[in-house]
Amino acid sequence: MTAMDRVVAPAVGALATALTLGALSLSVSASVKSAGQRLSTPEAEKAKVAVADHAEVPYCTPRFKQVLERVLHSCGLSGSEDRRGCKPADVKTFASIDDDDFNELFTPLKERGGVVLFDMAKDELDEGAKKLLIDRWTDRKGARYFFVVARASKTGSADKNRALSHRRANSIMYFLKELSKDSEIEKKVGLLWLGNEFAQLSKEYCTWPSSRTGKKCDDESINRSAFVSWVDCRL
Amino acid sequence: MFGPNSRIPAAISLVASGLGLTFAANSTLDYSTHLDRRLHDLHCSFVPGAGPTDAAEACRTAMYSPYAALFRDKYWGGIPISLFALGAFTFFAGFALYLLLSGGRAPRRAVGFFAFVGVTPLVVSAAMAIISATQLGSFCKTCVGIYIASFLLALGAILGALGLRRSASAAFSDAPERAQGSWLVPVAFLPALGAVCLVPAAVYASSMPDHRPYLDKCGTLKKEAVAGDSLLKMPGNKPVKPALFFEDPLCPTCRAFHQRLGAEGVLERLDVQLALFPLDNECNWMLSSAMHPGACIVSKAVICGNERARQVLEWAYDEQDSLTRAGKAGAPTLRALIEKRWGAELTRCIDSNDTKQTLNKQLHFAADNGIAVSTPQVFLGKQRICDEDTDMGLRFTLKHLAPEVVP
Repeated sequence: MTAMDRVVAPAVGALATALTLGALSLSVSASVKSAGQRLSTPEAEKAKVAVADHAEVPYCTPRFKQVLERVLHSCGLSGSEDRRGCKPADVKTFASIDDDDFNELFTPLKERGGVVLFDMAKDELDEGAKKLLIDRWTDRKGARYFFVVARASKTGSADKNRALSHRRANSIMYFLKELSKDSEIEKKVGLLWLGNEFAQLSKEYCTWPSSRTGKKCDDESINRSAFVSWVDCRL
Repeated sequence: MFGPNSRIPAAISLVASGLGLTFAANSTLDYSTHLDRRLHDLHCSFVPGAGPTDAAEACRTAMYSPYAALFRDKYWGGIPISLFALGAFTFFAGFALYLLLSGGRAPRRAVGFFAFVGVTPLVVSAAMAIISATQLGSFCKTCVGIYIASFLLALGAILGALGLRRSASAAFSDAPERAQGSWLVPVAFLPALGAVCLVPAAVYASSMPDHRPYLDKCGTLKKEAVAGDSLLKMPGNKPVKPALFFEDPLCPTCRAFHQRLGAEGVLERLDVQLALFPLDNECNWMLSSAMHPGACIVSKAVICGNERARQVLEWAYDEQDSLTRAGKAGAPTLRALIEKRWGAELTRCIDSNDTKQTLNKQLHFAADNGIAVSTPQVFLGKQRICDEDTDMGLRFTLKHLAPEVVP
């Protein structure tokens, strides 16, 4: 057996092992330390992650949102819990908007919402009204707020109509409470009740989806109503 | 066939060791790169040294599994087993080189020792292949590369040993006789093999950054669940800690996470509330297109499971591949699959308004909490678990944030 057999071959094998092991160890160490450095250095351009949120659709214009926000803050829906809903004077004051512009804001909600119609001087919900409310309420999708804009026609005194409009809004609120069994419903439903002094609806609104499809509709009857809709806007 | 003193078995072993080294190095590099807690592409190819790609689901599944690393509760991500492969193949490469240079003059005991230890990577590979098939349900290409290298190494080692027997036969009687060699060969080389195997792992462990400061830096739950949020309750057998999961039954990452928790024995110690978060725009307004078509229907099926909700969810995970295909084929195909397993009553429930409402409330709960639109999202108590801590760092994170849930 030569020296090559006894020493060189094992030495070459051992040296190759040692060198490979050393190189790998350095590489492993460098790779781990490099990861450690990246860990302690915040990413310059961190990939943006989409965050879950409520829906925001194109009709949520700045003007629309401004009015909604004012109504929300002023009518007790967000923040303080000591008042529920807004009466006509509040809406006029806080919305800072004229009748036509106010109604125009709700035009994009024509198909999303519906008009609950009432009998003259009444605030009870008929079967059609309940069905419309169930349909609309359960079709929430990503909406955060549900709006109820109750009205009364011009027949009778302003005070009487204001009270009637208020009762109609409350009828709907009670029904929704029963329907949803939701302990947080107060934070979702915004109530507005308008008498005849603000934002009366014209006959054109008779073409909107309503609880009494096919029944006679005119300037008077369309205002014995409450418009209801989820609003797909973030505020 | 080659003769008793042929260098071919040693050459095969040397090539196999080089192959094994390359695959093990790629696997180790993938692992160590992820120690920065960011998402990276993986080397997942049969071609040794091929670049990383984003299509490496099987390799990611293997990397995130409890079987990819040791000491995972002591080190974030654990010590990857590829490091031991790295050391072992280094040793075998050196030894094969020695046998190659020595040719027929290498002592019999050296060849015999190499044959004995040279099959150990194949034994380990066989065990890992069984785990891949039975526990992970997929084979990562890098792992398969190591299996192949292990097979070739064992082949070379065994052929070398067979050469020893052949040298005694008449056909090769004129071949020079090998020396027997000293008993010290196995006695000295066995500890050397052990030491070489441990060195890369020791270097890795000593270089690791401290992940503890990052574990609780991913936020907390903004709004706690109330009854109106209609979350599903899925307590384990011995719940000791409340947890909240946002999951999509057709999301492969959720499936892997759920299975990891099960394999770790953690799931049974959690009092889980589940909010379904299907990544499907049929019910989820937060997406413009369906990432997992049919996920809304399967989510409703889970809701309809009521007290069997966990069973339905786990069935959905088990059958995720076929449900995903059915979801892409269309709602009727998917409903038929669900009905076949759970009956017509559950499918009727899927279409009910109450079920639609429940799912919608769970999605709103996610919106109220502003969770990331990706699944799974995990909260332990009120503490959000970072995404990277739900896979590689899961055990380490649980051990530090909620040791009571780790068996």
